Amino acid sequence: MPDKFTLIAIALMAVISVSLAIGAYVGYKSGSEMEGTDAIVEDTAASTVGAEATAIGPAITDVVGEPAGFTIAGIIAGFIIGYYWPEVFRRRESDA
Amino acid sequence: MHISDGILRPEWALLWYAVAIPFIAVGIWEIKRKRENNPAYMPLLAMVGAAVFIISVWHIPVPVTGSCSHPIGTPMAAILVGPFATVVLSSIALFFQTFFGHGGLTTIGANTVSMGIMGGFSGYLLFSGMRKVKSPLWLAAGFAGFVGDMVCYIVAALELALSLNPGSVLSHWALYSIGYMPTQIPLAVAEFVFSAGIVQYIADRRPDLLEMRIGGGVVNA
Repeated sequence: MPDKFTLIAIALMAVISVSLAIGAYVGYKSGSEMEGTDAIVEDTAASTVGAEATAIGPAITDVVGEPAGFTIAGIIAGFIIGYYWPEVFRRRESDA
Repeated sequence: MHISDGILRPEWALLWYAVAIPFIAVGIWEIKRKRENNPAYMPLLAMVGAAVFIISVWHIPVPVTGSCSHPIGTPMAAILVGPFATVVLSSIALFFQTFFGHGGLTTIGANTVSMGIMGGFSGYLLFSGMRKVKSPLWLAAGFAGFVGDMVCYIVAALELALSLNPGSVLSHWALYSIGYMPTQIPLAVAEFVFSAGIVQYIADRRPDLLEMRIGGGVVNA
């Protein structure tokens, strides 16, 4: 049986995942493109002077696609946070 | 708020780098000083850095507006590790985010100013002010997150207007800000929630970290 902290973490992850999935589903079902506002506003601004966004270097998301790319980013960040979590939040002996 | 390569004029891209670099230099000094005082500072810094990276790159769908965007995480980071150290974390996160198609190499300075400096400092100053008037910790952290998020996007809109529309900065600043807001306001509410929750959690578990950061009187009032 997982400890209380693990259960809360799993429950939180499930709530966030379901919220994202429902948000995306409702958005797409309503016919929206669900494009990022950064790109929308940037394109609007660039169009006022005929500028265009360019990419100096290749992006991981260009190769593997955004879903896989952001999954990779999430896994890397998750491992870093998980690796350091016990070091920061381990209960000190004085608290026991 | 991630401005891509090719959008800003070169002189503006350089100017924003010039603004960001002194903050980064002070941030590196702040990190060196704090890690000598508390061995837990560097692991916390690494955790917060990873959190800022993922929070500020992961698009969250907002079905009401039919678009998506992301929070920034820097107001929370400024409370936890310090505002100048947050600028360092932001610049590193923004560099790696260019490999995920977010932002650009020539615009790291501009994006650091909006997300790391303005987002972080505005949130931190509001948090400190609210704590001085005895606001609950979670409430101060939450409002810091909300306001820092809003300020970040308003500054990003200003950066676009200054560079692209020098003859009509105010009207285009308003236009770009209005373009960001419908999607960003719900995400700023999300930023309120997780900033409040995480800061309160850390204050409960490791109050020494926050005391080191902003002074015991401010945290424990």
